[in-house]
Formats: sequence, structure tokens, C-alpha cells
Amino acid sequence: MKIAAFLPELFRHLFKKPATLDYPFKKIAVPKDFRGTPFLHPELCIVCKACERDCPAEAIEITSVNEAEKRFRMTIHNDRCIHCAQCVDSCPTTPVKAMEMDTLHEIAAFDRHDLKKSWEYVRALPKRPVATPAPVKPAAETAVKSGA
Amino acid sequence: MKFQIPIGPQHPALKEPISIRLTVEGEVIKDADLRLGYNHRGVEKLAEEKSWIQNIYLCERICGICSHSHATCFVQGAEKLLEIEPPRRGVYLRYLVSELERIHSHLLWLGVAGHEAGFDTFFMYTWRDREVVMDLLEMISGNRVHYAINTLGGVRRDIDETLRGKILEGLAVLKARSEYYFKIGAAEPTFVARLAGVGPLTKQQAMDYCAVGPMARASGIDRDVRKNDPHDFYNEVEFDVATADSCDVLGRTIVRIKELFESYKICEQILQKLPDGPIAVKAPRRAKPGEVVSRYEAPRGENIHYIVANGSDKPERLKVRAPTLANYPATIEILKHGFIADVPLIFAAIDPCICCAERSVELVDARSGEERTLRFSDLRRMANDRARSLSLQRNVAWPL
Repeated sequence: MKIAAFLPELFRHLFKKPATLDYPFKKIAVPKDFRGTPFLHPELCIVCKACERDCPAEAIEITSVNEAEKRFRMTIHNDRCIHCAQCVDSCPTTPVKAMEMDTLHEIAAFDRHDLKKSWEYVRALPKRPVATPAPVKPAAETAVKSGA
Repeated sequence: MKFQIPIGPQHPALKEPISIRLTVEGEVIKDADLRLGYNHRGVEKLAEEKSWIQNIYLCERICGICSHSHATCFVQGAEKLLEIEPPRRGVYLRYLVSELERIHSHLLWLGVAGHEAGFDTFFMYTWRDREVVMDLLEMISGNRVHYAINTLGGVRRDIDETLRGKILEGLAVLKARSEYYFKIGAAEPTFVARLAGVGPLTKQQAMDYCAVGPMARASGIDRDVRKNDPHDFYNEVEFDVATADSCDVLGRTIVRIKELFESYKICEQILQKLPDGPIAVKAPRRAKPGEVVSRYEAPRGENIHYIVANGSDKPERLKVRAPTLANYPATIEILKHGFIADVPLIFAAIDPCICCAERSVELVDARSGEERTLRFSDLRRMANDRARSLSLQRNVAWPL
């Protein structure tokens, strides 16, 4: 037994870089599968309501705006969202999912109602998985810009 | 003169808000009384109103540290009721996260034990190294605390070759660090002397009071769900149940350090044997009527979920027995002959969650009714002052 066996380790740390990051100024990249906040590609949504049914926090709300025009409004209550990404898993649209997660993690707000996000859109027709890939791709990219 | 000391219901030394009343004579605790029921969250009732898939995320939120344990325990049972068999790769990845979570939980506990014993350097180092495993978990699942990797019929995230390499690298680092802590324990007489002999629980007592997890294993009972009633997966990997015979807080430390090495071993075997194939199968929405008891070895001990299905898409009943609850009777017995100064250490040894709600201990004079409030930091200071003023126990040795 010897006293102060930690001392060599302690001295070694005097010459090491800090283990922490200079956070607000330097940002660490989020991992590949990070689950941020869910958002919708409105032109892809077929209003199957699978996300609304499976959401454990009941944060997704789909309401009908105009029955005749088939217009719907989806509201995501981000104050209730637990960021589990089950909505993305449940979404049946292929090949691009209508629900997606972004990588934002600094999402605090002063008022919980500011966190609410909604989209109003005409229901998309369910497409056959084989026929769609070419026309869907550019639409998805524009949706990311407008949704973010 | 007898004093009564109430600790809780809100207290950072306790995992959940429970109230413990200690009757003391001088510094020696003569009697301990336990009151439960302050933390009614309605989880079990809520579970009856959520579908099978929603309940995974609910169960995950029962605990912040062993989130994967509760989710896995529920999913194991739910998969039996839904009559689905997850693919091999899915099972391997699920238990890879389980073992990584055990590593993170035990490293966290080692830090807490060091902190309660007044060895804050140890606390800083173990928590820094814990970041390595936290980063691995984040890379696998996407998030740090609630991994949400389980789904009915498998897992939700796959790993590739680069990530596999990174996990092996991280495990090598952790292994080297754990060996260092192992040696530190042997070389640091003050740390060993502080832990030895505190909170004695004999083998017979541990049996009688049905202690689980590291509490039981530190009293020489080799009780581990992974060996006694394992999921098929644990028959495919080789590992030993870590036990110690010293029956005190030192033993509980040893058991946890040994378990770290066993978990590294299991993780390496998983990554070597990782089968190819899909990670999940599609699950039905409804389960046939039936009931199941699902057991799982969480880092703190045996976790039990009892699930009843009535043929709908929701469980009819979900009963959760967390490992800490099973350890309360034994804790009471330990407290009965201990010192007030050892209370923080004994509580730390059952692996509590520090919930930062109330930071005071009230000392009530049983005769005059006089009250004195102590903050938890004061109590810890008093404890460590007392330990410092004692002469070192010369004959205690690191038992490895």
C-alpha cells in the first residue's frame, strides 16, 4: 500500500487539454441517428394518421380543414414531443417518408406555444412504391427548406 | 436520550421520494422506519391507456439511468404476448446496449461512492471516463439518455463496420481505465478503510430480506437473472457472476468493478459474433389474451414487469417492480446498527438516483420537540470529518 497513488495521474493532467468543449462558441456535431424535432413534408402526407395514433406523447394532431377539398392541418406540439421518432418509424410513405427528424437540439423557447408548428396541405394520393422515386425526390428537397 | 431523525420524503440521498425515520441513541441508529408512496406518478394506470408501442417509450421513462432496462424488460414480455421472435441481429444489438448501459451505470455509481466517501478525485475521473461509454451509446442510438432503441420485434438502429470499430476502441480505453481504478482501490488505504465494515448485511440476512443485484452479490449470493433465468441470448455468451464475501459497502464496490469487466467481456463477444440479417420484424398491433412475467437484470438488480393482455391493442395491466424497491427491506436492516455518519454511504450503496429536491435533514429532539435543519452537504461533511478523525483500520485489505 502506498499513500496518494493518484498523484502521478494528477500531474499528468496538468499538461492535458481540457476534456470539455467551449460550448456556445464551438459546437459538437450530433450523431448520425440523432433524434431532433419532427417535421412534415406536407406534399407527401397521405393522412393515414399512423403518426397521430402511435405518438406516445400525443403531440401530433391532424384535423380536417375542408372535407370537399381534402385539406388537412397537422399540428406538432413540440412542447409535448419526447423526441422518440416513433412517428418517423410509423410513417408508411415510400421511398421518402413524409415525417422526418431534423438535427436541431437548441430548441428552448420562452413560451411553450412558440414551439407549436403546423402545416396546412391537400392530401397526397398514396402512390405505388415503384412508380414514384423520380418525381418525389426534388419535392422532398424543397420541403426541407420550407419546413426548417 | 433518543432522537428521531426524519430523512425524506424529498431528499437527494434517496433514489425516490421515500421517508426514512431513524431513531438514534447518540450516534448509533437503533431503529429505522420506512414510508413509501410519495412518488405516485400514475405510470401503471397510464400504461393501461397506451398501446403496446407507446408503452415502450413510457417504460423507458420510468428511470433515467436504467432507461433501457425498463424498456427491454417490457419489450421482452410484450414480444412473448404478441408471439413474435426478434431476429438474431436485433437481439444482439439490444443486449449490446444493455451491457453498455450497465457499464455507464456502474461507472456513475463508482463516482457517487467516491464522492460520498470524500474522494472527489475518483468521482471526477470515473465520470470523465463514463463519457466514453455515453458517446458510444449516443453513436449507436442517436441520443444520450433515452436511447429508444427497442421496438416490438427488434431494434430501431443498426450498426456498421466503422461504428463497430469505434465501440471496440472505446471498450479498450474503458478496460484500461477500469484496471487503473482496480489498482487505485488497492493502493489507496483511506478509501478502502472508509468503505470496509460499513453497512454489514450477512448472507443469511440478504436471503431473508430478498436483496437483489449487487447488494445480494456482495453478500456472497450468486443471484443474477442473466444466469438464473436468462433470455436465450445470455446462454450464447460467456461470463461469470461477480460476487464478494465481505458483505459491506466495500464488497458492493468490488462487485460493481468486477461486473464492469464482465460487461466488457460480453460486449466484445457480441461484436465478434454479431450475426447478419434484419434487425426487426413487423409486430402485430393486438396481443392474444394472456399474461407474462418478464425478468431482467438491471444494473441495480432484478427488474420485473408483469404484463396482462386482454386481446386489445393495449395491455390490461402492467406491474413494474424496480430493483430498488426489493432492496429497501435489506437497507432498513443495514441501517439498524449503523452510524448516522454512514447513512449517505449506505444509501449510495443501494445505487440511488440523486433527485436534487430537498437538501435538508431535520434533527428532531424526541423529548423537547426541538428541530434542527441540516443540509445534506453538512451531513456529508460531518460524516467525512468523523471518518477522518478515526484511526485508520490497518488490517483491511483490498480483497482482490
